[in-house]
Amino acid sequence: MLLKVEELRVSFSVRTGWPFPETHELRAVDGVSFDVREGESFGIVGESGCGKSTVARAILRLVDSKSGRVVFSGIDITSIPARHLRRLRPRLQMIFQDPAASLSPRMRIGDALAEAIRVHAIASGPDIDALVRNALAEVGLPPESANRFPHEFSGGQKQRIGIARALVLSPSVIIADEPVSALDVSVQAQILNLMARLKKERNIAFVFISHDLGVVRHFCERTAVMYLGQIIETGSTRNLFDAPKHPYTRLLRSVSPVPDPEKPAHLDVEEGEPPSPLNPPSGCRFHPRCRFVTDICRSETPDLRPVGAGFVACHHAEALPPAES
Amino acid sequence: MSEALTIDRRVRRLPPGRVAIIAGAAIMAIVAAAAILAPLVAPHDPYAQSMLARFRPMSAEYWLGTDQFGRDTFSRILYGLQITLWTAFASTALAMLCGTSIGILSGYYGGRVDRWLSAANDLLMSFPQMVAGIIIVALLGPGITNLIIAIAITAFPAFYRMARSAALALRERDYIDACRVLGYSDMRIISRHLLPETLDDIIIVATLWLATAVRTESSLAFIGLGAPPPAATLGGLVREGFDNLLDYPGLAIWPSLAILVVMIGLNLMGDGLRDANDPRASA
Repeated sequence: MLLKVEELRVSFSVRTGWPFPETHELRAVDGVSFDVREGESFGIVGESGCGKSTVARAILRLVDSKSGRVVFSGIDITSIPARHLRRLRPRLQMIFQDPAASLSPRMRIGDALAEAIRVHAIASGPDIDALVRNALAEVGLPPESANRFPHEFSGGQKQRIGIARALVLSPSVIIADEPVSALDVSVQAQILNLMARLKKERNIAFVFISHDLGVVRHFCERTAVMYLGQIIETGSTRNLFDAPKHPYTRLLRSVSPVPDPEKPAHLDVEEGEPPSPLNPPSGCRFHPRCRFVTDICRSETPDLRPVGAGFVACHHAEALPPAES
Repeated sequence: MSEALTIDRRVRRLPPGRVAIIAGAAIMAIVAAAAILAPLVAPHDPYAQSMLARFRPMSAEYWLGTDQFGRDTFSRILYGLQITLWTAFASTALAMLCGTSIGILSGYYGGRVDRWLSAANDLLMSFPQMVAGIIIVALLGPGITNLIIAIAITAFPAFYRMARSAALALRERDYIDACRVLGYSDMRIISRHLLPETLDDIIIVATLWLATAVRTESSLAFIGLGAPPPAATLGGLVREGFDNLLDYPGLAIWPSLAILVVMIGLNLMGDGLRDANDPRASA
């Protein structure tokens, strides 16, 4: 297993109330486990605020996790000193949601790429230039791009630069946090195709985080659905979309557009917003919005357990009527 | 279409603050040249006393007259500029260096040290400039070096605060996270990715604080806490002239005007730079 996330928990302290503020614990990620194999892409979907980006940031230690482990090629990277982690960094890269914000604004593209190469002593002298040019070519940018500044590029081009910057380090996993949601639809497809090609040709594994089910369906072999900091259903992407078990997965699928114009749009819509993670509901966290809610849902938290080909955290997973499609 | 474009270009060719920057820079260039070239330009030795030439009026020989010891006022103003500008420059540079580096580290790392430093900084900031300056000079004792340190301490909070808030805002930006993911050390991130982003703002603040430093130096000199006599500083000259203000007003007025010119030059430059750098101003 290339990347293994075990019972990852991340909390933030939030002080609210006036005039006597109290400190509350916001559990952004509450016991998330999954694993990613070499060359595989693993999707994480969910509404905004469900903690999917925090999972990404915790894996990369951009935020500290409260408990749990992240094991990357056999090394528990949650506990090693920062110095050692820096040496592992090249193999575990990230692509950001906002490509404009993820590039140092005053650095020429060539310098930004060369810096990464130099810091990790991947090459020296004229080899650096060649590596930079190769990486740019690989993401479909002309070599002259190296002399330009980030603001001279379009959003899609900037995202290509972000990918090139990760590529020069020859990563084995790329964590992509909403890599296309800031881009035009036509450009989205180009970037997705680029990532699919890299995955195939370089055998790079992806952790693909998105709120867009269509994109995940296109790109990922396996997918996990997150709700309020927990994974509520996971399995092969095909299974998850064709036969969703958890009521929340059904809700998500029903509100994402159906690519078949002949099919009538079927909306399985439950009312309401996700509750605040500051004060999550008792029992099953989805119960206030669930159509199939019973007493046990309000009192007991369902575990993620095998149901059919995947894993579902729902007391009634087997008993629910099959999802309409 | 082409017409609209040309109009657009013409408007853009006059960036905001341009006139002020040029005017300010021109004034400061002349003032700085006069100060640096004082030994060549000054018609008299600024320290040479002459009992025969006391309180001379303006003349071809003594352009701005002489003081109670017969020293040439014009020459003393030129040498005064030298010390005043050097004091202002050195103290601002010192404050900029210390304030910026400590501020950036404080903002980037956060935590308890940051809270304590910020609290200490707020305390320092709550003193009016002059009061803080007086206390520090009184503690350190007179002398130009101590004066520079005192003014630097009064200017420190501005740079600390500026750099800290910039670092605080920037460290949340994606590209700093990107640097961490790329495995860069904190020192590299701070020096190569954080600092260049804050430098513009810091240089503008420095220009404006240069003016404040001139004023602080002059004010301290005026109340007798400046460079010890017979050294000529602009504030010191005003103070000396003040003794005979009613009989020979020129002795205080000329150095005051010199201070005014320096202040106008520095403020024009600082304001101009600030306007030129403010995206809202060019919108």
